[in-house]
Amino acid sequence: MTTEPTIPAEDPARIRADLITGIVLVGLGLVVTYLSWTMDRLEVRRIHPSTIPGLVPIILGVALTLCGGLLAFRSARLDTRHAGAALVRVLVSWQSVRVLAVLGMALVYTLGLVGRMPFWLASALFIFTFITLFETVLADRPKSLPWTLFWALVVALGAGLGIHYVFGQIFLVRLP
Amino acid sequence: MFDGLILLGQGIAHFLTPAGLFNVAWATLLGLAIGILPGLTATMGVALLVTLTYKMAPDQAILTLMCVYLGAIYGGSRTAILLNIPGTPANAAATLDGHPLAMQGKAGLAMGLATTSSTLGTLVGIFFLAIIAPMLAEAALKFGSYEFFWLALFGVVISGQMTGSDTPLKGYIAGILGLLVAMVGMETLHAYQRFTFGIPALGAGVDLIPAMVGAFGLAEILSTMKRTMVGHIAPVNDRVIPRLKEIFQYWKTIIRSGIIGTFVGIIPGVGEDVGAWSSYAAAKKASKHPEEFGKGSQEGLIAAETGDNAVVSASMIPTLTLALPGSAAAAVLIAAMMIHGIRPGPMLMIENAPFLYQVVAMLLLATLANLIFGLSLTKVFIKVLSVPRERLMAVIYVLCVVGSFAITQRMFDVYVMLFFGIVGFILREMKYPMAPLVLGIVLGDLLDLNLRRGLALTNGDPSPFFTRPISAVICLIIILTILMSIPAVNRRVRALFPRNRGDVAAQG
Repeated sequence: MTTEPTIPAEDPARIRADLITGIVLVGLGLVVTYLSWTMDRLEVRRIHPSTIPGLVPIILGVALTLCGGLLAFRSARLDTRHAGAALVRVLVSWQSVRVLAVLGMALVYTLGLVGRMPFWLASALFIFTFITLFETVLADRPKSLPWTLFWALVVALGAGLGIHYVFGQIFLVRLP
Repeated sequence: MFDGLILLGQGIAHFLTPAGLFNVAWATLLGLAIGILPGLTATMGVALLVTLTYKMAPDQAILTLMCVYLGAIYGGSRTAILLNIPGTPANAAATLDGHPLAMQGKAGLAMGLATTSSTLGTLVGIFFLAIIAPMLAEAALKFGSYEFFWLALFGVVISGQMTGSDTPLKGYIAGILGLLVAMVGMETLHAYQRFTFGIPALGAGVDLIPAMVGAFGLAEILSTMKRTMVGHIAPVNDRVIPRLKEIFQYWKTIIRSGIIGTFVGIIPGVGEDVGAWSSYAAAKKASKHPEEFGKGSQEGLIAAETGDNAVVSASMIPTLTLALPGSAAAAVLIAAMMIHGIRPGPMLMIENAPFLYQVVAMLLLATLANLIFGLSLTKVFIKVLSVPRERLMAVIYVLCVVGSFAITQRMFDVYVMLFFGIVGFILREMKYPMAPLVLGIVLGDLLDLNLRRGLALTNGDPSPFFTRPISAVICLIIILTILMSIPAVNRRVRALFPRNRGDVAAQG
């Protein structure tokens, strides 16, 4: 039931990524199992041993370890010699640069700007930078700079003030 | 029977007020716009709008969210037809025949067929919702901890099995991760704080809304902005309103797809895309002209759009009666209902019976609004389609921050959104389905509480989990589902049922 049938299931980069993820999941599963096993069993409160708080997490930890192991095993069987290079190509592609740019801006906005200045101003700055970057430097067919700057400013101010007014004033939602 | 009809009539009358109709109109238009814009999904729209409906009356808030949900699922067909990109994952099957029809100069007809079949699909789902939900709610009153434990596990397992694209294993892993997220915070049996690592904000656990806004909002923004390719909008030069004959010559396909969509909707956490693909496959198998499928078959488009919209209505059956979400968007609806003091589950028919029929009325009004707007505002929706995503996605991220902050007014929830956005994006890129993850978060507490409560009732004896009739049946289904996802077992079982008959029928 895939929604993106164009990507082949045997993509070597994904198989290598699955192998790495499988190993990470085994690690995570073991950590969860250990933490659940050593979790307080509340003996002082004389609860029944079958109702300890760590019961379900232990089961989930074991299940995750098992599924992670199966995924790693399955991927190791399908893995090819060139899979590592294919995965590196995906990680250093132009698409990754675009993703990292969005993430970087989102992190700066969320962790750096929000709370240090009025929300509408922080949002307007984020939107302005986002549009300018993606319509010029990161665009396949960059638009003219004055045109981009004009629209970025209009959208940034419109959205920043609009969200402040609609959410804060009309729907009485408290903003960060 | 007559009580149900009276309650339904009261439900419809309840919303036929200026305020109710105004909410139906703007929320449906917003939902349509969300569905039409590639990169915005129904789940994201519903999750973001919970914030706006926070101060509304409960019935109006759920009405608004329901209109957005239904509007978005239908609206995505426009993008599928005109741009060859599914507006939401539910409309992926509609691209196969919708876009070829548009390229043949029949874009208007394709949109008209999609609109009417969406309406008919919703109506089939509504019919079954009104009939099945009260009966299921009554049956569920007999369920105890044992049955609810298995039901919660069934939801996660079946969702993992049916939505895992590469392998069911990834669906199961996503489900387990979701269940682990639900383990964080204070557990309800002994009030013990698990996996909080001394962080006070984790004491109350991870809120569903910020997690959903991250997994469906930020993750979707990252996925959309990753792509550089933008499609070309097909021109619309023909009529949009279809003739009755053009629709009803496929009445068998409509009923079959509606029933398939309803069945898929009842299964927890499977969702609209599976409904659309299953209906499409069944229509192709039963069609007199299967060779036309994928090349602009009107029957194929009708099957896909009837199927996904039937899922929306039918997903309310387990959502309202068992509190098991029928789809990812339904999981957000459960959270929204809880925020507004409505408790879905078996007690709903006792505590708040009119609400079930109000939901039926909401779906009726929403689908009527879809039909009217869908057939009359073609030009406006084409304009919406041309909004540059660079400008839109920046604004959507700001809304993600607002949406995750507003419910409890904690910056911690914004960080939760950020975390789930990044993790959700990585999981999506590696083809892990999101639905089991969401279901795991929603059902984790139900599963944990009922397993330990059941064991406490029997003083540690697990036998009632396997000997009570309903428990035994659900347990058996879960075991069979897991066994069938093992390729070696699956191959051997299929070998027992030769497919010669089916092949001959398909070829003939």
